[in-house]
Amino acid sequence: MKFGKRLKKQIMESLPEWRDKFLSYKELKKLVRLISAAPSLPAGVREYGKAEAEFVYLLNNEIDKFNNFFMEQEEDFVIRHEALEEKMKEVRERWGPSGSEASETKYGEEMAKIRKDMVDFHGEMVLLVNYSSVNYTGLAKILKKYDKRTGGLLRLPFIQKVLEQPFYATDQISKLVKKCERMIDVVFPAAEEELAEKVKEARDAITVAGEGIFRNTVAALVTIQEIRAGSSTQSAFSLPPLNLSDSHLLHAIHLNPTIPTN
Amino acid sequence: MEARPAFSIERSGAKQLSSMGMSGALSSSLPVHPTPIEETYSKIPDSQQAFVEKERLARPLTHSSHLNSSGAVGHMFSSSPGYSTDLHHSSLSPHGKHSRNPHFISQSSSNMVSLPLSYSSSSGPLPSTTSSCYSKESNGSWDADSMPNILDFPVNTSIKDSQVESSACNIMAPDEDGKKNDWQEWADQLINDDDALTSNWNDILVDPSIHDLEPKVSCQTSKSSLPGQQPQGHQQLSASSGEKHGSAPPSSSANSAPAKPRMRWTPELHEAFVEAVTKLGGSERATPKGVLRLMKVESLTIYHVKSHLQKYRTARYRPESSEGSSEKKLTPIEEMSSLDLKTGIELTEALRLQMEVQKRLHEQLEIQRNLQLRIEEQGRYLQMMFEQQCKSGVEKFKAASSAIEDPSGVSSDAIKDSSAKTEVDVSQVNHSKSGTEPDNNSNAQVEANSLKVVENDNAPESQTSDNPKQGASEDYVNAPPSKRQRTDE
Repeated sequence: MKFGKRLKKQIMESLPEWRDKFLSYKELKKLVRLISAAPSLPAGVREYGKAEAEFVYLLNNEIDKFNNFFMEQEEDFVIRHEALEEKMKEVRERWGPSGSEASETKYGEEMAKIRKDMVDFHGEMVLLVNYSSVNYTGLAKILKKYDKRTGGLLRLPFIQKVLEQPFYATDQISKLVKKCERMIDVVFPAAEEELAEKVKEARDAITVAGEGIFRNTVAALVTIQEIRAGSSTQSAFSLPPLNLSDSHLLHAIHLNPTIPTN
Repeated sequence: MEARPAFSIERSGAKQLSSMGMSGALSSSLPVHPTPIEETYSKIPDSQQAFVEKERLARPLTHSSHLNSSGAVGHMFSSSPGYSTDLHHSSLSPHGKHSRNPHFISQSSSNMVSLPLSYSSSSGPLPSTTSSCYSKESNGSWDADSMPNILDFPVNTSIKDSQVESSACNIMAPDEDGKKNDWQEWADQLINDDDALTSNWNDILVDPSIHDLEPKVSCQTSKSSLPGQQPQGHQQLSASSGEKHGSAPPSSSANSAPAKPRMRWTPELHEAFVEAVTKLGGSERATPKGVLRLMKVESLTIYHVKSHLQKYRTARYRPESSEGSSEKKLTPIEEMSSLDLKTGIELTEALRLQMEVQKRLHEQLEIQRNLQLRIEEQGRYLQMMFEQQCKSGVEKFKAASSAIEDPSGVSSDAIKDSSAKTEVDVSQVNHSKSGTEPDNNSNAQVEANSLKVVENDNAPESQTSDNPKQGASEDYVNAPPSKRQRTDE
């Protein structure tokens, strides 16, 4: 499958509000085709320069879009993270074993909610990291296409600039993710070993429906695997195939076909 | 001297134009008023000359030697609008004393010759660039903030410049004799070349409009002189890098856009925010102004605080469903309908499964990101090596052919072979890299190989006498095969 199609699929399987924040790969590809089709006569040189300028302009717009969206989401995550921590403390202090209104049932209920919220929160953050990665890959690919079609040298310096963009600097989010994982470990009871077995048992039974975070996460993983499965244009700048140790986990999870929401 | 009157006219013409921020196209047909101007010039103290020289030297323009030398003349070729106004004064000095001038002007003229040629490699000399500059004047989309970005891109421009400088040198060669003649020839060239330009000049030279145009024109011309700003007749690299700067990378656009500069909220910053809010009595009570004052963070504006406070309030107000809009997310229960998830334990297990998958995705994303970073770094590194290789390859040829008599055939061939080999090795390294596992070992290996390339380059260069050279070339020949073996492993 071509990258454009995969990207589209990924976009469809992402959270609804995110869908228009992804790279406009198709647009850019059309522009590249236009540019490469333009005759390279002396008269056409001016046209060429204009087309290239337009291309770069579009790219910069896309990057702005990514940055804005990314930073907005990041801000939200920072807030929510702190809010979750606070909530956890509150619940513990109020309904917990040593709390003011200790109540096991209430505590259990609230904790369940918190657990669910935390896991979803974690998932959303990871999806944002995925968003960043997908867009970066798209940019790299379109730049490569551009250089190939037009014989230009745009890719290397432009990509260097991209690497410095806020949307690519996912360190902070990753840190939050790790913090969240620690929080979750605290909140979740023990007993981990049975999970893998349960998964094997329920292998054919797990169908993930809807547009939820879990589904999107699975879709994202699958997409990454496919994208990196090797292409005809493998080069020094290509990523090696994905190495998932427990890919049986993924295969156990089927995805219901998405219903387009347009 | 019959040359003198023409010369003085041209100079004063230049003076007039330069007072508008335009150094350049001079024609004796341009209306000039030599007498009054000459008078003012003679009043200019000697210090001006020194000032000009200093300006030229002090200009920290990194991306072109041509640009550096242009400092003296180049109010036109300044890298910032402000600079050009300074040089209005400095440009007066060449027209002061005659005795000093020939030296200065010859320098400036040679600069003038080289500059337009270097920045419009295919489209002749100055006129076409300036005329296009004027035509773009009305668009005025130039963002002064992005000017400094040009300087951030030495890699790019140096690549372009090395190509361009050679062409400029070629063109300059015939003009080297007769400095005064240069000026005249160049001026003639300009007169003949572009009719549109002279009409532009005429427009500008109407006195009342001069002062109006001064600041604008100086801005515009500096724009036109910068490599990337000309879409016509430039190498793609220069055009693209220029255009990229022209449209301004997001970080600088954030500064230039007054309405919405984006703030990056870190957990630490948020902590300070929460502290301030609690001090002020909670999210409902706290005001943006108060919070801003308490936080005492430099780059924070009230706009940032306001929007952040709003988000904070929403998050607090519905703590249960505080995870964004819960409508969009289905619970694991709904997601896994075929499992019997009535009991809380199984719910927990479902969540655990979700966590596992999410963790896995995150892990892979991190690995992927590190790979991408490293690959690009390698790419950049290899490119640098490659360029060094090309450069040193040329030098080696020269050294080899000139110095050695007896083993000349051997060593130059060896050097030729080894430079070819290293190129082949570089590409081999690329291929091998794509096939290997993404671990530290292979990357370190690649780096070691690349380094070896450099070492091999440097060894023969430092040799001057015959025997060491031969020895070095032998080393050179031997080294690649061993390197090759390593990459094949």
